Order: sequence, then C-alpha cells, then structure tokens
Amino acid sequence: MTEATVTMDFHPQPQAGEAKPWAFPAPERGALGNGLTLLRCHRPGQQVVAVEILLNAPLEAEPKGLDGVATIMARAFSEGTDKHSAEEFAAELERCGATLDSHADHPGVRLSLEVPVSRLPKALGLLADALRAPAFEDSEVERLVRNRLDEIPHETANPARRAAKELSKQLFPATSRMSRPRQGTEETVASIDSAAVRAFYEKHVRPATATAVVVGDLTGVDLDALLGDTLGAWTGSPADARPVPPVTADDAGRVVIVDRPGAVQTQLLIGRVGADRHDRVWPAQVLGTYCLGGTLTSRLDRVLREEKGYTYGVRAFGQVLRSAPDGTGVAMLAISGSVDTPNTGPALDDLWKVLRTLAAEGLTDAERDIAVQNLVGVAPLKYETAAAVAGTLADQVEQHLPDDFQATLYRQLAATGTVEATAAAVSAFPVDRLVTVLVGDAAQIEEPVKALGIGEVSVVPAE
Amino acid sequence: MPMGHTATVEAGSGGLTATEHRLANGLRVVLSEDHLTPVAAVCLWYDVGSRHEVKGLTGLAHLFEHLMFQGSAQVKGNGHFELVQGAGGSLNGTTSFERTNYFETMPTHQLELALWLEADRMGSLLAALDDESMENQRDVVKNERRQRYDNVPYGTAFEKLTALAYPEGHPYHHTPIGSMADLDAATLEDARAFFRTYYAPNNAVLSIVGDIDPEATLAWVEKYFGSIPGHDGKAAPRDGALPETIGEQLREVVEEEVPARALMAAYRLPEDGTRASDAADLALTVLGGGESSRLYNRLVRRDRTAVAAGFGLLRLAGAPSLGWLDVKTSGDVEVPVIEAAVDEELARFAEEGPTAEEMERAQAQLEREWLDRLGTVAGRADELCRYAVLFGDPQLALTAVQRVLDVTAEEVQEVAKARLRPDNRAVLVYEPIATDEETAQ
Repeated sequence: MTEATVTMDFHPQPQAGEAKPWAFPAPERGALGNGLTLLRCHRPGQQVVAVEILLNAPLEAEPKGLDGVATIMARAFSEGTDKHSAEEFAAELERCGATLDSHADHPGVRLSLEVPVSRLPKALGLLADALRAPAFEDSEVERLVRNRLDEIPHETANPARRAAKELSKQLFPATSRMSRPRQGTEETVASIDSAAVRAFYEKHVRPATATAVVVGDLTGVDLDALLGDTLGAWTGSPADARPVPPVTADDAGRVVIVDRPGAVQTQLLIGRVGADRHDRVWPAQVLGTYCLGGTLTSRLDRVLREEKGYTYGVRAFGQVLRSAPDGTGVAMLAISGSVDTPNTGPALDDLWKVLRTLAAEGLTDAERDIAVQNLVGVAPLKYETAAAVAGTLADQVEQHLPDDFQATLYRQLAATGTVEATAAAVSAFPVDRLVTVLVGDAAQIEEPVKALGIGEVSVVPAE
Repeated sequence: MPMGHTATVEAGSGGLTATEHRLANGLRVVLSEDHLTPVAAVCLWYDVGSRHEVKGLTGLAHLFEHLMFQGSAQVKGNGHFELVQGAGGSLNGTTSFERTNYFETMPTHQLELALWLEADRMGSLLAALDDESMENQRDVVKNERRQRYDNVPYGTAFEKLTALAYPEGHPYHHTPIGSMADLDAATLEDARAFFRTYYAPNNAVLSIVGDIDPEATLAWVEKYFGSIPGHDGKAAPRDGALPETIGEQLREVVEEEVPARALMAAYRLPEDGTRASDAADLALTVLGGGESSRLYNRLVRRDRTAVAAGFGLLRLAGAPSLGWLDVKTSGDVEVPVIEAAVDEELARFAEEGPTAEEMERAQAQLEREWLDRLGTVAGRADELCRYAVLFGDPQLALTAVQRVLDVTAEEVQEVAKARLRPDNRAVLVYEPIATDEETAQ
C-alpha cells in the first residue's frame, strides 16, 4: 500500500497526569415541618437547578382494573391547580423557562423540575401548587385518558417498546403488576376518570411520604425560607407504612417471537431478573455487565458489531425495577439491540457463544481494569449537571439506599477483582435461564432461531 | 499564535470567555477555561458534511466518520475507543449536513491523550484504513440506517421531507445517512479520496473547554497537530442558496403501515446565524414549542384532534433552515381537519404577532435551552466549534442567548408573515394501511 506515506511527526502515547480528587457529592438531609423529607446539594456553577419529587405511590397500589391511574395522575399534576387552569399552568411554567416532567413507575411517581436559578422561587411555587392542590378537572382527565389511549398504538408499533412489553409479560406472573404495561392497557386506561385519579391521589400522595431533592448553584438562595413558603405549605395525613410485595419471575430459557411481517431488523431483548443495589454482588455485577456489553469495545459488540457487522450496537444492562428496605428487591438484567433480519440466527448464535465463552474462560484482568477505569473515571463528567446528581440522589431514596451509596459504589468498584466480576456476569446471564424476545419477521427468523436450541420457540402476533 | 481575542468577558456571555489561536498549518484552536469540575472537553469540527457529497456517493461523510474510529498509524483497531474509555473519558462522533464532529470528554489529567489520539487520525488515518474496516463499517452503518430509519414507523419522514423541501440536485436534498444503494457502492478508494480532500488541519476547528491550563494545552496542540500538513484540495460545496420562499405548496402522501395519520411539513426559513433566524426560532416556539404553544393548545387541548403537535427548527447556515411541523392525529381524525386548524393558527399569528407574554415565555424557554447547552464543558466546546466553523467567530457562541433576548415581537411577526405560509412549505401526509393490505401488494 502506497497510502501509508505519512508526513507528520509522531510522538509516543502520552502518560496521564496526576488525577485530581473528585467525589460524588454528599447531600444535606433534613425535613420540613409537614414531614416532607428534603435532600439538598449545592453545585457551584450549575445555573439550571434540578428538583426531583418522589411520591410513595407505586404501581402495585393502583386499584384492580385501573392500571395507568398513577400515570394519568402524574400527568394531571401539570394540568391545573386551585390557582391556575391547565393552560395557564403550562404557560406560567414556561414563563419561568422551566420544564416539568412526571412519570409513574413501579417504585412510585416522580416529578422532575428544571429551572434557571433566577426563577426557582416562582417555579417551586407552581410545583407546590400542583402537589398541594391539583385541579384534576373532569375534562382535563378525560383528555389525558384519550391522549394516553392514542399513544398506545404508537408504542405497539415501536419494536423496542413492543419487546419490553412482551418481556414483562413473559417474566412475571399475570397477578403481578410488573407483568402488565406500566402505563396501562386500552381496557384499563379507558376506565379511568377524574374520581379515580383523585381517589388515588388522596390515598397515596402526602408530604409525610414524599421526598424533595434540590440540586444546583444555590449561592444566595435562602432555600429554607423558599421551601417553607412553597412545599412547606402542603399538608396531609401522617405516613402509613406500605410493605413492598415480593417479586417472583419465570426465567426458564425460551424464545418468544413477536411477529412483525416485513421487518428489516429483529429487535432483541433477552432478560431475566437478578440482584438489585442492596445485594453485595451489585458492584461486581455492574463491572461484569459492562465487560459483557457496556460499550462498543465490550465482548458482545466486539463480535456482533465490530467483527460481524450484524448490528449498530448491542448493550447489556441492569436496571432496578423495585427495591425493598430488607433487600428483597430485583433488577431487570438484559441484553438489547437490533440485528438485520437475515442474520438473526447467526447473531443469536454468536451472542450465545459469547456468553458460553465468558462462562468457560472468564474475563481477563485487562478487561476488568479498563472497565473499572471507565466506570469510576467517568463519574465527574457523568455528574457535571445538577439534573444528573439529583436523579441519582432520588434513585437512592427511592431504592431505600443510604445517601452515600453512589460514593461508596465507586470505592467498591475499584476494589472488585476479575474473578468476582466474572462470577457476577456469569450468574447474571446464565445461558439456560434467559427469556428471549424477538420482535421481527417470524416467517424469516423462526426456523433459524429454532435450529439454535436456545429454548422452545413460540410466535405471538404484534397486536 | 494568539489571534487578537483575549479572555475578556463580553456582555451577555454569562461570564464565559474563550481565546482563539491558529497553528501555522491553519488549524484553528479555541480554548475556554472552567475549573469547577476536573474535566476537559475536546471537540474537533471538520468543515465537511453530507452537503459536500455528490450524486451516487450519499452517506459517504457519515460512513467515513465511522472509519475514523478504526485505527490510525499509532492506534490499533478500536484503540481510540478503548484508550479514551479506559482513561475514564467518553467520546463519539456525529455527521450532519454541514459538518462532522468528533469529541472526547476526559478527566483533566487525561486531556493530553485525547489530543494525541485526534492528531494521530487527522494526520495518519490512511496508514490503517483497509478493506476489512470498510466492509465491516459499511454493514454497521446499514444496520444503523435500518434501526433508526427503516424499521420504525415514520422513520423515513425526515428523509422524505428533506428531499421535497430541497430540489433535486441541491446539496441538502439528501440526508447524512445516505441511501442503501450508495452505501453498497462506496469503495475504499472513495473513502481515501474523501480523507485526502477534507481531513486537513486547515479545514478544522479544535476547541478545548474545562479545567485546563491554556499554555500547557496550546503546547500540546502544537506538539501533536503542528506537523500535520495543511492543504487546499477541498472544493467548496455546491451552492445551497435558494429563493426565500418556495412559491408553491409541495406535497407527498405516503401510504404505509403506521399507527396513526400524520401531518408533517417543512417551511423554508432564514439561514442560521442571522437575526431573522432567531426571530423564526421564537415564532416556532410560540406556535409549537412546549405545552403552552398555540398549536398544542388548539389541537391537543381544545380541538382534541391530535395526540402530539409541535414545531422544531433545523438550523442550517449554507441553505435555508427548515421549520419542522409534526402532528400525529387522534383517533379517526382526518388530516384536512388538522391542516385547516394549522393554517388558521399560522394565519392568525402572522396577522397578530406574538403577545408580550408569549414573547416572554418563548425567550425564557430558549434561554434555558442555551443555559443547558453551555452548562456542560462538552456542550460549550461543541457550540464554540459551531460558531467558528459556520460563522467564523467562536465568541458568538457565548453571546447567542443575548441575541435571542434582543429580538422584538415585530421581528417575530415579520418572519412569520413572510415565511410561515402554505405556499412556502413541503407537506408530508401519512395515511395508515393495514398489514394484510401491504402483504397483498
């Protein structure tokens, strides 16, 4: 090759300078007079303040037949209060340059406010109004219900969303809330009205069981006074203990094809449930999962993407579904991505080979070292914004973890060895206990997938 | 090396500063110090995008971006990714119509590594580029195209609408992902020629933002990039200039397996970098940004004919920008009902202009978006490159928010009146078909 005519001066790869200390920020914990738990954290320079509100209104608390009522309630918080109509409320928030997102998930309902610090007082006032005196007007709830019903076909048509829905259905018993779509089905959502939303709110939303996390550059902000005037004015009955129900899952190895005739790719979602952050294995599981499929130089993409070109990228991850104070919670452990239709069989075959090789030979020390350096090293950039810090602090509260969990996790990751990481990855992804959901063209992929012998194959329609 | 600009705080810059420098080989360098967090962002913009591609070679700029991660003289295979991630950094590259960018965010003490890596591939990519990488990344990019465009409902809307809005032969007629046929046809020699033409220090801007020592940083830049020869082999992209308005309504109806009817449209708007484009951004925000916008209130809240309705702005400097309307219908509502309502709202807005309160809201929203973008070192590095490459002055990034706040209601009304008209748009209508009908075709 004559191409290699290079004219630049080369220098050896530079060595790293001296690392500067950085630690995950420690919040200051307190409570307001109404029982609201408060975490605050000053982050110099972060002019956009993040406020996370956690409400102890988990999905399993939704009344039978009303799946989705927590979602509709979460959305209805920003649809008017005792002071503003729905349109006015949205306008006032945007006048602050604020965004307010809310969603309901298995552990509870979350509201996330982001606003420039100069307009924090006004935005906190609006947020407090929404929690304290939501209007839940008939016509607004009815509109949200219709809107939600309109969204469902869009989710069904999206391969990744469709796969997630199927995996939940496969893993969990029909009696478990976790087996059903978080935001409800056509049937259940259609039964929701403003009375149902209000009843759910009255039963499960109160300051004594709520937490607020406030993060940003709080220089010159009298947060106590500000919170006293806003979230402090919210009243409600005292806390009642709410046990977290145990989770069971059927991870017997099998394959379910969700038929999508004509699909040019197959969406893969291969999963089971496993340890959450309370388990001592968590740091090793994080490390092992990263080595398996955390990035494009991890084991899965090294083969499926960078050697074979079957995919734009496949990732392995652990995502906490619900944690309990006694450590009985679970995380979803999964591998996801999409591969082109003709190569679906070969890609799955390679994926299983990667898992078998990992179990047989283990990780290398070099892989472990790079993973630790990345997971620990990226922390200062991952947590540059107030929103990122607030999100993790709120997750910790939601998962019944101590406030220094993340800071401790970084130290534990650095102390986790190759053998532990291998063991955790292998037990997180055992080849015979994975439920494989494939959203793709059954006519083309069913036979090749059957031939792999990775479990019994069944086909279900997309809708 | 300093080019005149010093680190003086300019009005409306929120206290941020940047300095500019130029190496003898033409590489422009922008530095901005910020010691709040021990991280540094490196961002490199090459002044080449899909608008530089010619017929039959669409998608080449993006495919080439992938090849930049396949090794260079001193970096083996996936070494670029491995070294950055192993140093606790994060990285990627993206390709748009007007540029290709590469970025690494590093812990401060690993900054030098990122500069070494970027310089190695800028100067010596061809020493490593081979058929194996080319064939592999061709397949990866084709799967990227399937995943992001071909295998999702409405996935090719952007491509279709762009092709309608810019005439055949126009440099923005095709999108950066390119066509499957062209991706299949691209050769290793095409990739090599592309590198030789566009990847040169004098066709790039390097910005470094964060916890840096400017003197040491500049010395590293000189050390690693200084010997890479510049060259003037690059041809200017084809002219993207077009008349201010289309002059007619262009229209395409797509019958596809989608979950709901949709009305999408692209309006021809002023070029990025002008005061009129900031006015257009505000107009689109009032009309279709967020949940207090006129279109959201009308279609989603009051008429209840849409499940989602909004406007976005695709800012372009070398051709008219596009105002991007996207409405998904509710239930069985038909598209003409939506279209009539949209036209009515746009006509009324052109007639009345924004209220004082609407201006305040739209400006507050855009101000927060700017604070978000400039609030991270990586975001700031990218914006500094953008203004340097597209408008010749990185300092404009730091005062952009002030320019948005300076726009008046009259200017917003003016741009709406002139541009947000039915005879200045390309319309894409989606009509769903059932699965069995499709298989019968």
